[in-house]
Amino acid sequence: MSAPNASTGNTERTAVADTAQNGATRVAGMGSGRYIGKRAPRKEDPRLLTGRGQFVDDISLPGMLHVAFTRSPIARGAILSVNTEVARDVTGVHAIYTQQDLAVFNADMISFYLVSPDIKTTPLADGRVAYVGEPVALVIADNRHIAEDAASLVEVEYAEEDPVVTIGDARSGPTVHPGRDDNISVQMGEEELDEELADKLDSAPHLVTQKVVHQRISQSPMETRGVVATREGAQELTLYITCQSPHLVARWVSLALGVPQTAIRVIAKDVGGGFGLKNHPWKEETAVILATMLFDRPLKWIEDRYENLTASCQAREQEMVLQVAFDNDGKLLASHGDYSVNNGAFPQLSECNIAVHMFVWAAYKMPAYGFLTRGWYTNTPGYAAYRGPWGMESLIRETALDVAARRIGIDPIEIRRRNLVTLREQPAESVMGIPLEDVTPAECLEKLLEKFDVGQFRAEQASLRKEKRYLGLGIATYIEPTGAAGAITTMTGELAQVRIEPTGKVTATMSTHSQGHGTATTMAQIFADRLGVPYEDVSVFEGDSSRGGFSPGAAGSRQGVIAGGAAIMAADLLVSKVKTLAAHVLEADPGTVTIEDAMVRIEGSPEKSRSLAEIANIAYGEPDRLPAGFESGLEAQYRYQPPPMTFSSAANACVVEVDVDTGFVTILRWISSEDCGTAINPAVVEGQISGGLAQAIGMVLMEEVGFDARGNPVAATYKDYHLPAISDVPDFEFVHASTPSQSVGGMRGVGEGGAIIGVPTLVNAIADALSPFGEVPVELPLTPTRLLSVIEGRDLGAKAGSETTAVMASQPGAAPVDATPETPVAPPQATAEDATEAVRIDGDWNMALATPMGAQEMTGHFETSGETLSGYLASAEGQMDFTGTVAGNKLQFDLKVVKPMKITLKYNLEVNGDKISGKCKMGIMGSVKVTGQRAT
Amino acid sequence: MKPAPFDYVAPTTIDEACAILAEAHGGATVLAGGQTLLPLLNLRMSQPFILVDINHIAGLKGIARVDGGTLIGPMTRQCEAIENTALQQHLPVLVEAVRHIGHHQTRNLGTIGGSVTLGEPAAELPATAVALKATIEVRSIRGSRNIPAADFYLGPYMTVLEEDELVTGIRFPDWSPGHITLFRELAQRPGDFALVGLAGALSIESGKVARAGLAWFGMGPTPMRARAAEQLLLGQSVHEIDPQAVAAAAINDTAPFDDQHASAEYRRTVGARLFASTLREAIRVREAA
Repeated sequence: MSAPNASTGNTERTAVADTAQNGATRVAGMGSGRYIGKRAPRKEDPRLLTGRGQFVDDISLPGMLHVAFTRSPIARGAILSVNTEVARDVTGVHAIYTQQDLAVFNADMISFYLVSPDIKTTPLADGRVAYVGEPVALVIADNRHIAEDAASLVEVEYAEEDPVVTIGDARSGPTVHPGRDDNISVQMGEEELDEELADKLDSAPHLVTQKVVHQRISQSPMETRGVVATREGAQELTLYITCQSPHLVARWVSLALGVPQTAIRVIAKDVGGGFGLKNHPWKEETAVILATMLFDRPLKWIEDRYENLTASCQAREQEMVLQVAFDNDGKLLASHGDYSVNNGAFPQLSECNIAVHMFVWAAYKMPAYGFLTRGWYTNTPGYAAYRGPWGMESLIRETALDVAARRIGIDPIEIRRRNLVTLREQPAESVMGIPLEDVTPAECLEKLLEKFDVGQFRAEQASLRKEKRYLGLGIATYIEPTGAAGAITTMTGELAQVRIEPTGKVTATMSTHSQGHGTATTMAQIFADRLGVPYEDVSVFEGDSSRGGFSPGAAGSRQGVIAGGAAIMAADLLVSKVKTLAAHVLEADPGTVTIEDAMVRIEGSPEKSRSLAEIANIAYGEPDRLPAGFESGLEAQYRYQPPPMTFSSAANACVVEVDVDTGFVTILRWISSEDCGTAINPAVVEGQISGGLAQAIGMVLMEEVGFDARGNPVAATYKDYHLPAISDVPDFEFVHASTPSQSVGGMRGVGEGGAIIGVPTLVNAIADALSPFGEVPVELPLTPTRLLSVIEGRDLGAKAGSETTAVMASQPGAAPVDATPETPVAPPQATAEDATEAVRIDGDWNMALATPMGAQEMTGHFETSGETLSGYLASAEGQMDFTGTVAGNKLQFDLKVVKPMKITLKYNLEVNGDKISGKCKMGIMGSVKVTGQRAT
Repeated sequence: MKPAPFDYVAPTTIDEACAILAEAHGGATVLAGGQTLLPLLNLRMSQPFILVDINHIAGLKGIARVDGGTLIGPMTRQCEAIENTALQQHLPVLVEAVRHIGHHQTRNLGTIGGSVTLGEPAAELPATAVALKATIEVRSIRGSRNIPAADFYLGPYMTVLEEDELVTGIRFPDWSPGHITLFRELAQRPGDFALVGLAGALSIESGKVARAGLAWFGMGPTPMRARAAEQLLLGQSVHEIDPQAVAAAAINDTAPFDDQHASAEYRRTVGARLFASTLREAIRVREAA
């Protein structure tokens, strides 16, 4: 829509080019040789594009029955009664279960970190409901039609209570979970601004306070959640489940259900997108698995789109205020961030997204940063990850930098050049203590500018403004931690197992999993490249927990980096095996053996050339011809443990036009300049970036999971939940910087970057276009109503959902419900005891540290002697001794830890009767709450 | 997402269909192209006892030129309407409206009658029928009646159609050759329901507006006829028309609402603006011709 033409809206955008297909034509006829870096056609595509993929709903087992759920129509309240009599009488209904029935298994719904949640989370509602759509009863029937008929006939009587819907409600409203003091699910950082930091902010020549309100997002995988579960005999369980890693699901189910992992097989051949929603099972999937064990027939549940949009876990919904101080040259002086995230009722992990603070200034020369970060419980579906879960750091930083540039009067590119840590300035350490060795956002930016003439654009922009046409340029840079391994239980290395079959063909099984990532393609390219065989000869298998070995699969932009390294290492082991055998059989020096095009050759002796199949036949079938001690067969495996973290970098530019009559945005051009190190397959890399950028466009312009004041979802179908269509996504241009990383193969992760950097890039472009009218408040999505409000300088009206706060605020009667029930030892009394030296500190205490990764449980042992304190803290990970001080009922001691990073933990605790509470300051990471009671 | 149980009947004549509707006493729902009804059934927002499939009734299909107008059978597919040369010639506004309904794929099954009868207030066809002063022909075992489109709609998805009545035709009167056509729709993505939409036609005789039909969609609980604007235009010379003033009058006949896609104030502000620019452009095109 280069000319304002409101009747067609956003319809005239060009379609995204099929880069994979273009690449395929280029690779045709390439023959064998170097495959890393080539646009090899995807091995997955023939079956996926001809409808031969195998998704969960394609699975049908003999005797299989179907599940549907009765769900809560209210957001908050007690269940008074459940009557299943009428529903049971429906012909074709086999069983109806409530939580009472499933409770025999006592399932522990652990997080991605395999830690029990702070609040008891059950597969079906347990006495209370906490969000609209929460499953209350599970119906098993002959087919889904009957199951849904019966589910609608389950009679549930509720005592409805006023819900807590927004973060604002959570701050002031009643508690979502009875028995808790407040709705804070997890908190880190300092509630009061450090004086030194406050001085730096207050005394700075320029202080920018940027507020961002990010809407709630539905991950919206094309394939919704689903599971087919079957018991193969008493102790075996096979699950067909759409997921991001069959290995992680097997591990999760084994721990959550308390059944041996060896008896669990998880299969997910093809998966239609995960985006963070499918890291591990949650309420519904767990309920189906338990029901299968209880009823002993194969069960199928396929989430429908209505369930997916309204009752699945969801993502984002964050609010952040970032203060940034600058000197007169636009150089950074200090910053403070206050972040909140709506965790819903039963989050997959109690999230306060510490990564937002870790990475907000990581690539910038920022001298001082302080923060407060909190997650809030509300009566909404629980929080789960979404591609680039910490993306707020880039969104708020990059938009704040543009606001600052406008205010100080310098160019937005220049303000970044003055503050980014360049490659020449590394190694360096970020303000949060992250070591930087090879991040390249500044270099990506310069490469981007080689492709985009900013001067020419500014001239065009100025001349079009005279015609009342408003174009804008958005620039953003970022770095992204990828390929993380070692610091978190589930973030392990990756395993590659590869063999040259007796036929000479290559088969590999991997710990990876693809939800569209094309890992069977990229890993095959690596094997073909390193083994010297044609790409067509390599088959890669994944998607089954009985193959390969543990890894979390697609989580944290890691597979190319780590599994790629594993594939290289395993292939190299196998090459050396082939060379040893060939040298022995052909009576040559191993150093003269080469493998190319599946032919084994001896330098200088062409007559000794043998096909790989001939050598393989000997390896498998003629043990007499093997060298002494040579393991028969041609097989190798390698589990690669990469550096703890590998950074990717990028700079993006986007040009938009905003129609000032309607507030509609048209994207005219978008250039991505990224550094993902070695690009195994540039077409796959560009596919990953394109998908992420499309999701970014959705977040900025149209997607929103909204609720009314009663917590009812307002976008229950795709009529109202607007995903970007092909007509909303431009034809992206790509620049690849390709600075090899420190990991084997030199890859850097590229799975999430587009979804992170795309958001500030587009917001900045819109803000630049509308800068003659004023600043654009960053409240996503930037709907036509919101943008027209900026253009006209008046509020054109709040949308329906945002009345919530006002409704809640006007209910003075909604006092916290847990104000009375808990009766801790009254502090005054404890103080009185303190005065009479009745405080008992010595002995063992059961304590819990409320970290963003879940409650860390430990035992504290204290011994006092006068004002001296000694003892130890013990957890599953080991025991650490300390010494400290005692003053009355107050304890102080420090612990130095090295994992996951080197920090000193400063404990400040207070004993009151049999309870202990206080804070643990974790260095730059801020403080977390400590609670506990005397061990009996 | 499966429909509640229902009985299915597929009559082959209008009389048969009317008999079934009469016998059902409100328990029946008519299935035309199914592009809206099937999702509603699957979401269980519609739970009829009997689904009356009228896809097999030959008498409900086709486009015919009749005295002074065009009669469109309700089971005419939207894609057929776009391709029809008679409609292109006589009712260009209608063709333009149909082009904006849903997507290519949904227009292959979606019908003219289905969209007109459903009464979605943000849909193109109900407003176009009102603007072009169409008459909706309905039949029941009690007899037939013709209802002006302007009187047909009561609220969102609510019409004056009785539970035993079947729409058998939509009759569009001819507008004078060379009439001024107005159509504008603002939607976030192609195929979305309109944030703001308008349709209209002006017959010009001796340089003056002899007949005016204007209606909004997405601007209230029903298609909203812009009566005051029609009155204002009647008798005016084309070159005297003040698009701004007509738009101001037209916007007074709307009652838009807030939803998650746009606020009422947005719809009013942008609606008036688009109305004026659409009218201005239409006049410019005519005067250039």
